Amino acid sequence: MKSARRKAIVGKVIVYVILFLLAAFMIVPFLWMLSSSIKSDREVFQMNPFVWIPKNPRWNNYVEIWKRMDFTRYIGNTALLTVVVTFLQLLTSSFAAYSFAKLHFKHKDKLFLAYIATIAVPWQVYMVPQFIMMSNVFHLNGKLTAMICLQAFSAFGVFMMRQFYMGIPDELCEAARIDGMSEYMIYLKIMLPLSKPSLATLTIFTFVATWNDYLGPLIYLTPNKANWTIQLGIKNSFIGQYSSQYGLLMAASVVSLIPVLIVFLILQKNFVEGVASTGIKG
Amino acid sequence: MKKRKFFSAVMACSMVLALTGCGGNSTTPTTTQAPTTTASQETTTTAATTEASTTTQAQPSGGEAVTLKWAIWDQDATPYWIALKDAYEEKNDNVTIELIDLGSSDYMTVLATQLSGDTSTFDVVTVKDVPGYATLVQKNTIEPLDDYISKANIDLSLYGGATDQIMVDGKLYQLPFRNDFWVLFYNKDLFDKAGVEYPTNDMTFEQYDALARQVSSSDFGSSVYGAHYHTWRSAVQLFGVLDGEHSILSGTYDFFKPYYEMILNQEADGICRSFTNLKTEGLHYSAAFSGGDVAMMNMGSWFISTMISNLQSGDYDSSLCGNWAIAKYPHAEGVEAGSTLGTITGIAVSTGASNKDAAWDFVEFVSGTEGAKVMAETGNFPAIMTSEAMDIISSLDGFPQDEQSKAALEVSNLYLEVPYAENVSEINSILDSYHSSIMSGEMTIDEGIAAMNDAIGKIINK
Amino acid sequence: MSEGKKKEETVQNEALIKGREQKERRRTLVALSFIAPNFIGFAVFTLIPVVFAFVLAFTRWDGSNPIQFAGISNFTKLFSDKFFLAALKNTIIYCIGTVPLTLIASLALAILLNQQICGRGIFRTVAFFPYVASLVAVTAVWKMLFSQSGPVNAILYYVFHVENKDLPQWFVGNLVMVSYILFSVWKFMGYYMVIYLAGLQGISKELYEAASLDGANTWQKFTSITWPQLKPTTFFVSVMLTINCFKVFDVATLLAGGDNNTLTISSTVLVHYIYQKGFIEWDLGYASAVAMVLFLLVLAVTLIQFKGEKNYANS
Repeated sequence: MKSARRKAIVGKVIVYVILFLLAAFMIVPFLWMLSSSIKSDREVFQMNPFVWIPKNPRWNNYVEIWKRMDFTRYIGNTALLTVVVTFLQLLTSSFAAYSFAKLHFKHKDKLFLAYIATIAVPWQVYMVPQFIMMSNVFHLNGKLTAMICLQAFSAFGVFMMRQFYMGIPDELCEAARIDGMSEYMIYLKIMLPLSKPSLATLTIFTFVATWNDYLGPLIYLTPNKANWTIQLGIKNSFIGQYSSQYGLLMAASVVSLIPVLIVFLILQKNFVEGVASTGIKG
Repeated sequence: MKKRKFFSAVMACSMVLALTGCGGNSTTPTTTQAPTTTASQETTTTAATTEASTTTQAQPSGGEAVTLKWAIWDQDATPYWIALKDAYEEKNDNVTIELIDLGSSDYMTVLATQLSGDTSTFDVVTVKDVPGYATLVQKNTIEPLDDYISKANIDLSLYGGATDQIMVDGKLYQLPFRNDFWVLFYNKDLFDKAGVEYPTNDMTFEQYDALARQVSSSDFGSSVYGAHYHTWRSAVQLFGVLDGEHSILSGTYDFFKPYYEMILNQEADGICRSFTNLKTEGLHYSAAFSGGDVAMMNMGSWFISTMISNLQSGDYDSSLCGNWAIAKYPHAEGVEAGSTLGTITGIAVSTGASNKDAAWDFVEFVSGTEGAKVMAETGNFPAIMTSEAMDIISSLDGFPQDEQSKAALEVSNLYLEVPYAENVSEINSILDSYHSSIMSGEMTIDEGIAAMNDAIGKIINK
Repeated sequence: MSEGKKKEETVQNEALIKGREQKERRRTLVALSFIAPNFIGFAVFTLIPVVFAFVLAFTRWDGSNPIQFAGISNFTKLFSDKFFLAALKNTIIYCIGTVPLTLIASLALAILLNQQICGRGIFRTVAFFPYVASLVAVTAVWKMLFSQSGPVNAILYYVFHVENKDLPQWFVGNLVMVSYILFSVWKFMGYYMVIYLAGLQGISKELYEAASLDGANTWQKFTSITWPQLKPTTFFVSVMLTINCFKVFDVATLLAGGDNNTLTISSTVLVHYIYQKGFIEWDLGYASAVAMVLFLLVLAVTLIQFKGEKNYANS
């Protein structure tokens, strides 16, 4: 017994040592961002691996970023975009995924493959036709709606949710069907509550992708400064033709990262054993 | 059955899209023809008004309110956009210039994409580089300006030969308003410390190489790099085009060899920083020069205003790099001093401009002598380098005081870093790529040049 | 059997079949109604442009002038295109290296961070960090670590006594791919860890308890419960990883591109080449042809993975 306990303790210690080493390795870029955000541009460029806290830290960079661009507005735009996209994505993806995972209809597999296949096509290839369509047919150039339309109906979400639903035993649905539940009720009453971890995952991914997106806003929103997002604002304000202000850029990046981290920290609580397993036995 | 239905539906949809795509484009040929007719019509009216009086010419649209949408980049960091807008609006109170900032990092991509959707998004566009210019011309998104130019009697020789290098089948689609040319920046303190004479305005490459070797020192703690070459290919291989005989469009590049040898030898001897390290560490040339351990650096004239403003604001330590000056580019044996590389920024009229005459009038202003004055006053080099503009720049507060620096601004022959050719974008990227391969040691000089000859030869002989 | 009876039977059968058909149609309609909201948006905004892009592969088009049909000339050009072949080779090498390593790393990380430990939320957030941090910061740090005089080379020098002149240049020549792979594993394992974490929650605790009673050790539990139960998740992760690896772009330009995004024969990748052809040279037809090759490659790999999943589902 005693040796077993000792073994357990040793195991724990090893786990923690590994965790701390890994964490140190992972957190370096964040420290670098923090450190650069209080440096002057020259100091950032010098890239001295031993100077993490500059002689004269420029805390002023964090004040300056609000003056140098319309940061509040960009945050507002990005937040609006992210919330709407995430909501639509969750709703439509989980809905469609239920059908792909638990219902039967002809050509299901082929339709599903068509979904996955489009993920494999790099955006750079269909960006121009898409842009011409969006601006000439839908007249959405420069509007936030354009970004919502493009990002809210991704195949990625459907694919991911389908995979999680696949893991839920079919017997659960069958039993409910025999009880006379409609498919919509099964989705609402059984599937949704069981898929909390995967919904959390999709929320995190969609949130991060929309929040940090640069290429989409670059193509669709650049001409309309009032609709710029954070990433667009940061890059266009601090990266210049001949000189860039990396200190300010990093300060703004640190600020823009905070909401992402908060969302992650809150949502990861859903990854707790037992949330999904209760009731699965059916 | 269903499958076929689905497929045909998709095809139908895509055909609709194709049609709208084509529909949008099928108008392009007509619009490209249209300008000639409208231009000639309007030409007659402009010609008439020119004859009538010169004051009306400044207001081509006869006083009605006009708004011109102008595509630019870096509005907040670059003072001349607003200065040009204000100067023009002051003269033409019926015109409003609307600046649309597309950011600098992806400017040409965003601009070309926007114009693919709809050419009327902008009336006037700034053209950042020659590959981008080639794209815009080939996509039929900017107007040929020849008719306007001949009507307005513009003397293209004022541009010092730059416009000849951007002709497309004998036509000109943009006028340059900014022209940066390459000079040699040097740090006087380092030369003083080493007891070596300053660089002069008339140096051959051998003299330059010798000087770089003399001034550098590897003493621990106070090491000095005699020269510094930024990672762009312009900084190294384009020494080769300064003799006026060779061009990057020629398809054979053996003339690069002596210059690659000179710089790779310098690198091997520790005279300059290694290309690979620069690329990995991302060391910016401004940080290198302002760090006070680089004696000479070849760079574009845009860096002059960067130096001046950063020294004034205290961002650069004046004890490290405050005592700087400029000299003319070194030259090959038997070639006139003052031959250098240039990069032009142009301005053009969009084919979708709602009021092309008004747009042209603005283009004429910006690229003309009035625009040149505004550019010089904001510390930038106008494409029309009048002696007045040169005086304004050399008397800027913070510009090096010695006579030689002032004289270094005189350019005898200007060779564009990238002149126009049909496939210039492709040629440019191939040269960039093999330049990287040679400099990083992935290929020997001979292998790299052979690969350039092979790849670009294929394009040119196509 | 009399004629009449036969008829009766067929009528009965037809009614049965009709009823069944009706039922099936209803079921199909219900199933499609679930898909519709997503599919309509997806079809209009993504599928149509994608199909259009495929058509483009057989044309010459610069985005503005009328489209010209070009037959298969774009594809024949591919095989003599040095940069394309190099990009294809590099991308495949990159995928072969990155996919399995990231899969293993993210699964291990997920299992580690699924245990009862203090500060689990913080550790998870930290692991997710390289994925969300600004790419500029992430690459700057990575380049610093692997620069000529950086910590990694310092270890090689002091600990492994590698001679100064033999110290590797991590961003040049053959080593570029190694840098890409290591960097990608580090950057993306937090991302796939999240997916695995979600997948792990779907495994019933009772299974483990039962196994414990049978005296199974940790490894046995992993091979007999965790791994099989995670199959759908692993399918998803491996497909997404494959796709994302084939689409690698930022990683390459930031690590090896320098300040004008120039990649050489040994560092170029497919999507960078597509970008170059599409948006710098505006040869959209050719860019689409390159993308077609990429697409077919991914499709082939995905179909194999799909088959694997089907087999699992049937067994």
